Amino acid sequence: MRLFGLFMLIFIMWMMIMIVSYFLVFIIGPLQVNLFYNSTDRLVSSIIKASLAIGLVVVLILLLGILKTKYLQKTLLRN
Amino acid sequence: MIYLLDIIIYAIIVSAVSFLSIFLITPAFIKYLNKKGKVVVDYHKPGKPNVPRPAGPVLLIGLVISEITLYFLILDVKIISVLLTTIIAFIVGYIDDVKTMPGWFKPAALILAAIPIIILGSHGDYLGLIFDSAFIPILYILLILSIIPIVGNTINSIDVFNGVASGFIIITMIPLLVSVILFGSTNVFLMGLPLLFGSIAIYQYHKFPSKIFLGDSGTLLLGSMYASLSIVGNSEIIGVIALLPAVMNSFLFLSSVKKIVEHRQVKTRPVAVCDDFRLMASKDSSAPATLVRLILARGPLTEQEIIRRIFILGTFSSILAFISIVIQYSFMMGEISL
Repeated sequence: MRLFGLFMLIFIMWMMIMIVSYFLVFIIGPLQVNLFYNSTDRLVSSIIKASLAIGLVVVLILLLGILKTKYLQKTLLRN
Repeated sequence: MIYLLDIIIYAIIVSAVSFLSIFLITPAFIKYLNKKGKVVVDYHKPGKPNVPRPAGPVLLIGLVISEITLYFLILDVKIISVLLTTIIAFIVGYIDDVKTMPGWFKPAALILAAIPIIILGSHGDYLGLIFDSAFIPILYILLILSIIPIVGNTINSIDVFNGVASGFIIITMIPLLVSVILFGSTNVFLMGLPLLFGSIAIYQYHKFPSKIFLGDSGTLLLGSMYASLSIVGNSEIIGVIALLPAVMNSFLFLSSVKKIVEHRQVKTRPVAVCDDFRLMASKDSSAPATLVRLILARGPLTEQEIIRRIFILGTFSSILAFISIVIQYSFMMGEISL
């Protein structure tokens, strides 16, 4: 089936979005940092959470890049 | 019950206004464009016919009339912000239609289109992340400023064959509207109906063989309105999942050429036209990777076969969007917890 590979590629992309969402909600979301034990901690926590979230999205894009390269090698260059 | 009846009546009114205005104005506009010589060559067909372009102004007229009608019915400021975003995106696209602009112009100028949503406060502070939502008031603004240009250009870059952009929007609007009614509001659902029915109307002229091309003004308008509806309807992730084939196309192209350029600026074409007007994937390893090139990797296809396959992929990603909606709804209602 001609589109099977593309279906799989889209499905993997979807799974990656779901995994990133899971990490953001259940791992990064509840993260709390207590350094100074005052209101500054909330700001520090937010900055760390935002940095981790952006980092996770960058990792997602890098993984997509690797996935794309593998798929291209398998389909276009082989043909 | 009266409330539900009101919604149904408003839905019928805005859908009919959008569909009929675009469906009835387009033939006259096609004649006007032909008369003015505003045509481009359709290289994928025998005889290389001239096709009038752009359809953006007709789409804009239909959408503005229907959204203003809706505004007088429900008086929601979100309509104004979505409308302003759509109008700015149209202007950006129209400038590119009449004057060839550099590759950076559309993404950069489309950032302006996101501003009405932020200024009028039509966005929420929570980003729906399937399993829950995240409170990110500052990051969310940055997200809005990037979503509109990305989605606008994504729809623009998938419009490579007759009817693809309008057909793709029709398919992907269905999960988006379901998501908006569940996670957003009825008002935003009503605001989305003109885009769906306007796209259905223009598809009658845009589908193979095209009687009119959308142009950048049409595709950026469709993409930006889709993005703004997903933002004001708290359905950003669902909207992106439904668009995955188009997102993949943009991602493949950008990561191949490594910079923001117009497709016309790329020296090596990703596909070539055979003698029998079927299309085949380029064998040149330096040619950019695109969704169509991947579809053609196993052999040449006709234009109609490619269009059908793009729609099948759009349907597949829309099914994934529906699965995501079910998961998100289940978590929201507390039927599933981790």
